[in-house]
Amino acid sequence: MNASTGHAMFGETPPVRRKLRQEALAQWVFGAMAAAMIVPLLLIVGYLVVRAAPSLNLEFLLEVPKRGMTEGGIWPAFVGTLYLVFLSLAFSAPIGILAAVYLNEYARDNWFNRVINLAVINLAGVPSIVHALFGLGAFVYAARFGYSIISASLTLAIMTLPVIIAATREALASVPRSFREACWNVGATRWQTIWAVVLPNSISGILTGIILEVSRAAGETAPVMFTGVVFFKAVERGDLFPYYLNEQCMALSMHLYTISTQVPGVKESIPFATAIVLLALVLMVNAAAISLRVYLRSRKKW
Amino acid sequence: MRPAHRSSCFPQLGLAACAIALALQPGCKPGGSSGGSGGANPRITIQNKGSDTMVNVAQVWAEEYKKIHPHVDVEVSGGGSGVGIAALIKGTIDLASTSRDMKAEEKALAKKNTGKEPREFVVGHDALVVYVHKDNPLAEITNEQLADIFAEGGKITKWSDLGVKLPADRDVIVRVSRQSSSGTYEFFREHVLNKRDFKLGSRDMNGSKEVVELVGLTMSAIGYSGLGYNEPGKVKMLKVSPKAGQPAIEPGVATTLSKQYPIARPLLLYTLGEPTGELKNYIDWILTDAGQQIVEKSGYVPLRAGTSKP
Repeated sequence: MNASTGHAMFGETPPVRRKLRQEALAQWVFGAMAAAMIVPLLLIVGYLVVRAAPSLNLEFLLEVPKRGMTEGGIWPAFVGTLYLVFLSLAFSAPIGILAAVYLNEYARDNWFNRVINLAVINLAGVPSIVHALFGLGAFVYAARFGYSIISASLTLAIMTLPVIIAATREALASVPRSFREACWNVGATRWQTIWAVVLPNSISGILTGIILEVSRAAGETAPVMFTGVVFFKAVERGDLFPYYLNEQCMALSMHLYTISTQVPGVKESIPFATAIVLLALVLMVNAAAISLRVYLRSRKKW
Repeated sequence: MRPAHRSSCFPQLGLAACAIALALQPGCKPGGSSGGSGGANPRITIQNKGSDTMVNVAQVWAEEYKKIHPHVDVEVSGGGSGVGIAALIKGTIDLASTSRDMKAEEKALAKKNTGKEPREFVVGHDALVVYVHKDNPLAEITNEQLADIFAEGGKITKWSDLGVKLPADRDVIVRVSRQSSSGTYEFFREHVLNKRDFKLGSRDMNGSKEVVELVGLTMSAIGYSGLGYNEPGKVKMLKVSPKAGQPAIEPGVATTLSKQYPIARPLLLYTLGEPTGELKNYIDWILTDAGQQIVEKSGYVPLRAGTSKP
């Protein structure tokens, strides 16, 4: 470490210099790789913002599409996405959490539970277009919900379920076993232990997992396009409750797809501004998840 | 499966439950969520699905109709004529918009499934236009040449086969086609390829607009799409002659209405059985001058000449 004495005692021989050069090179390459991770994100966001700039204002969010969707805003699609996301989470979160509690706290290692585990893992790997077809067959046709918000959100719920289960299990597993043992040792049942010890200590992880699913649900096009999202539906400007649940709605992802592939003569900045809104929605939800996690962590006692 | 009813004395879980309840609220608000008619303010929903060619005009119909009849919601979605017909056969929609006829077996299937005979309405026409890149010197083409370019076994694969000089590396024709659920695809196959199959290796686009965009960016491309998707300055519309030796006809409103242009087709709406109530009113309105003006403004050919001038 001491350069002057080091220099005096050991002169910088060529092998040492080579080693130092390699070291500098390695650091530079690895640093560049790390930087390369954020470059695409910055480029994407920057490019979108620049192209979207003429349309980026509150009016764009609140206004409905006009003149054959070539002008105006994206309100119906924005509200539609909110409907789909919250409704799908309302279905999948309780089921997913309860299933994860069972799998993590009650389930023994027998063939039945191994089958359930396998099913959860496989369900997570099913492509979204397959979920779409399943939703079409199960909810639209078989359950007779028709093309509707209900069908679409149930399809999304099934798609998000395995990830919620996985995230919840991970959160539950992170609670030290000694906590449970302490609780059992004072005579608590399994359920009392879960309710009083396990859930309060894992809630931040569970909620984060659920909220992160919002971004996935908001971004999916295929499952909702097959089951209850339409190309266009006329609603009032700024109307917070424009849809009944047995009707179809518009959604941001689908709207972005149609105005960029289907509608001629769309004002140039509109598709980009739509992408920005979708991206901002996802980033905001992620930020909410992170701050919630930080807040709940700060109250953790261990 | 009503998760919102989980009451809890658990502060953090309660927070989650609260969020869920909030999310459900919009659904619960409009009194039992009766989407159909009934109540003081009867709200009618018409579900319209089908042709990508027609989805833009259908969308403007819905937008304009809502202005005159605020209680009628028309839900418009695309996917292709085949998708619309399939949904009509299942009885899940009210109105299928298609750019091709329903086949006899499809009608029979609809009758068998729903007990109702599909009823057809012609609401306009569309000229199928053959597009090339704006710098392509070709001006006209015959039906046979089109078939030789697009159909299986067709001999034309290079621009030089058509006598067109493009830079040497652009000589191979890039064929731009549509996905097989598209009515445009089906119509082109039937009326230009004489029901032969398409050659493999074409670029199959998912939308009418994408075809024109790709052709506009690709010098060696040729593609077919609706008249309404023309982008002047990027692509060129070819004149088409029905047979070699006959004069080539320019695609357009006049030549389509006079039935001179060889690859034109009707735009259709199908209902299950004779339409009644608001559905009937909606279709009637589409057939009026107001509805037909929208057809023309969207780049299609209205039923009657001169509707664009009120």
